[in-house]
Amino acid sequence: MAGPYNGVRVIDTTGLAGAYATRLFAGLGAEVIRLESPEGSPLRALPPFAESIEPPENSLWWSYLGMGTRSVVVEPGDKDSLAQILSGADVVFEDRLPEDSPITSDLVPDSAITTRIVPFGLTGPKRSWKSSNLVAWAASGVLYATGFQDRPPVAPAGHVQLALHASAASALVGTLLALRSRRKSGSGQQVEISMQEAALTIAPETGVPVFLDDRVHRERSGNRRDLGRPFGLYPCSDGFVSIIVLMPRHWTAMAEWVAETTGNETIAEEVFQDLTVRMETQELIDTWVEEMTTGQTRLALFEEGQRRGIPITPVNTVNALVDDPHLKAANYWSTTQLADSSTVTVPGAPFRTDSDWWTMSPAPLLGQHTDLYLG
Amino acid sequence: MTDPTTELPLEGVRVFELGIAIASPFCGRLMAHFGADVIKVESQINPDVVRIMGSAWSRGRDDLVAVAPDTSPYVPEMNASKRSVGLELKTDAGRDVALRLIAECDVFLANFAARALTDLGLDYESVSAVNPNIIYVQLPAFGSDPEMPYYSFVAWGPNQAPLVGFDDFTGHASDPPAGIATVAPPDYMSALHAAIATLSGLEQRDLTGNGVHVDISQFETTLALLGPFVMDYDLTGTVHSRIGNQSLWGAPQGVYPCAGHERWIAISATDNQSWEALSSLMGTIDDQFDDPDLRMSRQEHLDTQIGAWTADFDADDLAYRLQTAGVAAHVVSTNEDLLHDTHTMSRDWYQVAPHARLGRDLFSGCAVKLSGTPGRWTDAGPSMGQHTREVLSSIVGMSDDEISELVAAKSAFEQLEPETLVSRPWDEWIHVLVPGTDDARDL
Repeated sequence: MAGPYNGVRVIDTTGLAGAYATRLFAGLGAEVIRLESPEGSPLRALPPFAESIEPPENSLWWSYLGMGTRSVVVEPGDKDSLAQILSGADVVFEDRLPEDSPITSDLVPDSAITTRIVPFGLTGPKRSWKSSNLVAWAASGVLYATGFQDRPPVAPAGHVQLALHASAASALVGTLLALRSRRKSGSGQQVEISMQEAALTIAPETGVPVFLDDRVHRERSGNRRDLGRPFGLYPCSDGFVSIIVLMPRHWTAMAEWVAETTGNETIAEEVFQDLTVRMETQELIDTWVEEMTTGQTRLALFEEGQRRGIPITPVNTVNALVDDPHLKAANYWSTTQLADSSTVTVPGAPFRTDSDWWTMSPAPLLGQHTDLYLG
Repeated sequence: MTDPTTELPLEGVRVFELGIAIASPFCGRLMAHFGADVIKVESQINPDVVRIMGSAWSRGRDDLVAVAPDTSPYVPEMNASKRSVGLELKTDAGRDVALRLIAECDVFLANFAARALTDLGLDYESVSAVNPNIIYVQLPAFGSDPEMPYYSFVAWGPNQAPLVGFDDFTGHASDPPAGIATVAPPDYMSALHAAIATLSGLEQRDLTGNGVHVDISQFETTLALLGPFVMDYDLTGTVHSRIGNQSLWGAPQGVYPCAGHERWIAISATDNQSWEALSSLMGTIDDQFDDPDLRMSRQEHLDTQIGAWTADFDADDLAYRLQTAGVAAHVVSTNEDLLHDTHTMSRDWYQVAPHARLGRDLFSGCAVKLSGTPGRWTDAGPSMGQHTREVLSSIVGMSDDEISELVAAKSAFEQLEPETLVSRPWDEWIHVLVPGTDDARDL
């Protein structure tokens, strides 16, 4: 079958805060129409760019997040076209406050769902404050707790824009719930996402209820944590691996592995079975573990450690992921076409189903579908 | 408040959940909030880690051993509004009852390892044999295909972020990767994808009558967020890596020191309009920086000047000034700052609901807000086994005697020591955080 949301018409005016949502929606069958200004969506201005292609078709953010969608250009002030395209909407995605948007409520059918993804929500003293991925993490408590103690706080995976994608994914959950309600009631409603709250949601570890319980001020602890040993990132010949040893059986396997590889019999002594002892001697434990890890590659350590039942993973870089043997064997990677018809590798469907839900066309050219909808 | 006559979007949907920690429990909580009857099936032999953690104040208290599993602050964060049924799935009788319960459910949701589900006889084939139209959603770390290389590998929360490239992307360019040790975004992103998949499955079933098997490899799901960087590597061989807090598309963006110990402000002024506002507040900055290309190429120099300017300001005061001028900025909030955040408080971000063990409990709200069918918090997270008898009686149709036999045979369990009640040490202060709740000192 086609995707489950086949036949649902979605009008999207968002930038990066909503794009991941409408990309998923399109993959699941919805007809997603991106309303663009004559200059194009703000996504089209974001690097990295494909060098062989001219603006506004060269942004890889657009080429990825715009996949599966359609592009309609509406001139600023062209109320008639706006009314025409909105009259058939089931869902409207916005990333602006109502008073900042040209889409007034009279243009949207009563049965439509309006989904708003805004920095701090539609109410409260910070209602009109601006945000970004970095600012959303700052307002969530996560930024303060990430990085090395003697260095400024640093956003988690800043490139990836996680706080925005978490907002977008939350927005899609809300939208699908509202569609389900509409089937029962016939009425549309408003879905509201505060980017601050979306970031707070994915970080209760640094949030208030946990703080009230343990009164521990979360501080930056670099790439290791004092919950166990070894615990965190350890250097190897081509980067780092992540080792998380908490359970007694994991330590036993770890100590045996180090002893066999480096000839260090001391580490296998019974006294180190005690986590408290390992924490007191953590520098020694870390040194011994590093003696083993530094001479080997990420992938070799990953495969051998996992064979021994230890929770160890490579600290992957993008090139290592593209070459990863599991992802290749699972046929995870897909391709799309850029504006010059060249083919490029992209991540595949985010989940697999035994029904054929997921389809993705290349991102549209600016205004490619204007005539189709407004002609 | 919810109009009691409003039907919530998931009313009438019943979910059988086998969850550990975050990835499937957080999805189940979203569904419970919006009306689903989510039944968290738990084991005393292999308890959910949120049960093992307990609360800081119950640790080491011999008198609280039976109730400690109900007191972790993560219980409501992950399980509010659910019911808990104690069933030991490794016993034949426990598994038989589980299958009878599954036959009455619409959704099966689990983040057990794929092999663990197969060993329990709860893989898709076994479950769909008793409920052919089930929406079966599983979230194994590396997918459910036993032929794939990492099928049997283990990845714990703190291992997932490095695996998918997030740790390499975290930190200042001249430092080793800083990692995301404290939080686990991949778990939550997987949970949100699971909610999207479950709702899509319900949609498909309404349209066609057919159920679906959804396999969410957390490895693959999280990688779907890396699109542009995978493409750039394929096109040019560029391997993007950590660049601190800088933005790829404009400068300045960073974290700058403010007055006081460990007080910082995050500022994003990556477009020209924001830059004009920021530079006019700063006053003295070199006008060569009006050129956006120069701001990018000399951003370290620019950051030094901004940091010198911010250093004397109170962080909260500066954030207010910057936002008033139209610049995206915020204090780098500590957990104490969050405790005093009047904005989140004005939006009722923290919620209070009844709790069988604690009387009431406080927890984070839901970031998904629906105007017409807002969700509900019926309960601040169930006690282990609190609803075993109720669910097995009303849904599976077992008699009281049958349930008692099952419990006696240790194939099921009920809430331990229901008469033991405790309250959180800060219970009487809840009214300060959640305006409108009763002050316990007045009760």
